[in-house]
Amino acid sequence: MSMFWSAWVMFLVVLNMGITLFLFLWGTRVKIPTLPDGTSGHVWAHGVLREGVRKLPRWWFVMSACMFAAGFTYLALYPGFGRFKGLLGWTAHGELARDTAANQVQLADLMQRFKLYTVEQLAHDPQAVQLGGRLFEDNCSACHGRQAHGNPLLGAPNLSDADWLYGGDGNTILASILDGRHGTMPPFGEAFGEAGVANLANYVLSLSGAPHDAAKAAAAQPIFTTVCAACHGADGKGNQAVGAPNLTDHIWLYGGDLATVEETIRHGRGGQMPAWRARLGEDDARTVAAWVYANAHRAPATSQ
Amino acid sequence: MAGGYKYFEAIEKHAGKLGILIAIMVSLGGLAEITPLFMEAHKVHPAEGVKPYDPLRLAGKDIYVREGCYLCHSQMIRALRFETQRYGHYSVASESVYDRPFQWGSKRTGPDLARVGGKYSDTWQRLHLMDPRAVAPDSNMPAFPWLARETIDAADIQARMRTLRRLGDPYSDAEIAAAPEALKGKTAMDALIAYLQGLGVDNEPHAPATAQAGAR
Repeated sequence: MSMFWSAWVMFLVVLNMGITLFLFLWGTRVKIPTLPDGTSGHVWAHGVLREGVRKLPRWWFVMSACMFAAGFTYLALYPGFGRFKGLLGWTAHGELARDTAANQVQLADLMQRFKLYTVEQLAHDPQAVQLGGRLFEDNCSACHGRQAHGNPLLGAPNLSDADWLYGGDGNTILASILDGRHGTMPPFGEAFGEAGVANLANYVLSLSGAPHDAAKAAAAQPIFTTVCAACHGADGKGNQAVGAPNLTDHIWLYGGDLATVEETIRHGRGGQMPAWRARLGEDDARTVAAWVYANAHRAPATSQ
Repeated sequence: MAGGYKYFEAIEKHAGKLGILIAIMVSLGGLAEITPLFMEAHKVHPAEGVKPYDPLRLAGKDIYVREGCYLCHSQMIRALRFETQRYGHYSVASESVYDRPFQWGSKRTGPDLARVGGKYSDTWQRLHLMDPRAVAPDSNMPAFPWLARETIDAADIQARMRTLRRLGDPYSDAEIAAAPEALKGKTAMDALIAYLQGLGVDNEPHAPATAQAGAR
């Protein structure tokens, strides 16, 4: 704040407080000319309303005095009087820094303890799992759902089962959280043509024993072994190194009906898991990984 | 003292005089609190990395305003621990120098969006705007499916850029000329998503950003 505006604020504060304080002190002492009937002689509405002269109630006087005291105390302790920073030196950012530091102190022991264990071990630590669960709900549930059951509309995987795109050990889960993932299935619609896409989709369905057209599936087998197998493997069991899903189970990222599989082949898919390193930091991300691991290894009866 | 009361009486008995003096007293607070900030607003310079909105994001920002997103979403992370812990570094004035009007807001039916950019994928944003319940079953946000059918008028965005330049935003002639190319084939949905995905990413203050990582 420049000198001019500081002086401006100071002047207005002094003016305002001065006028009100003067009225407060003077108003209670001034002698008001009083007529014999106890009124001031001010009349409204042709004498229907007349102004009585009464002493101010004590409670009003005390409350006003308290307000002035509070006002002056505030201006002395806190910033408000122009550039004057207040005797306490309080700032909003200083308070934030103190609160943040106090919170860190409170969590320091916990975080120190968490560092000693692997993600798998943390999954047995109720405090780590509780903390991770809160963070999951706030940050991850938008795509994976509150129960981590995933969302096929987004291709957000179900994290509560035993099937993992990139691997289900603690460090791989943590890596997925910290740095994100970009799952890319290239589009093959133009390369294979409509008939080729339909044949291939039937072959993909045959891998998991889903209802399919055997003749079409057989026709597409050479394409699968030469093209698709590069990522999904010759047996269609996928490849966690590149995040290629296993096609032989009944778990589908985007849906396992013929039309959806055809769509996946035709236009490809681009799944994106955002990176959380900057938002969560490693300590918090480890607790989230612990929650995900614990949630996935929970007994089926309690996972609902 | 009784003499002083004469003046008091003169004020009290004349409604016009009383009204004017009340107005003066009441305006003192505003003159002290609003005027200095208002007059010094031009001294706020863009934070490092804060650039005027590119055409697509500018279109998205105007759709954000048009659809009234600010009625439920703030873009103002307050300097309070539980806010910085959840949303990231607190908002600073130098981040929103190119927001006309600013979108700080004061009402949060939904979450704060000041640093939502990159938190979710583009696909998520699209799905969420088409049907919020598809990703958040208990959301009460309205759906905005018409945005996907609405094209953007490049000439209109160019006119907006020229207006903003007149107000002081440093758009170059080349940037304005390139707008139609950047907006080609884009829908209002694309624009809004681009705007949302840029929130807090390009604008985050650089120096104190470490405070965010250490927020917990």
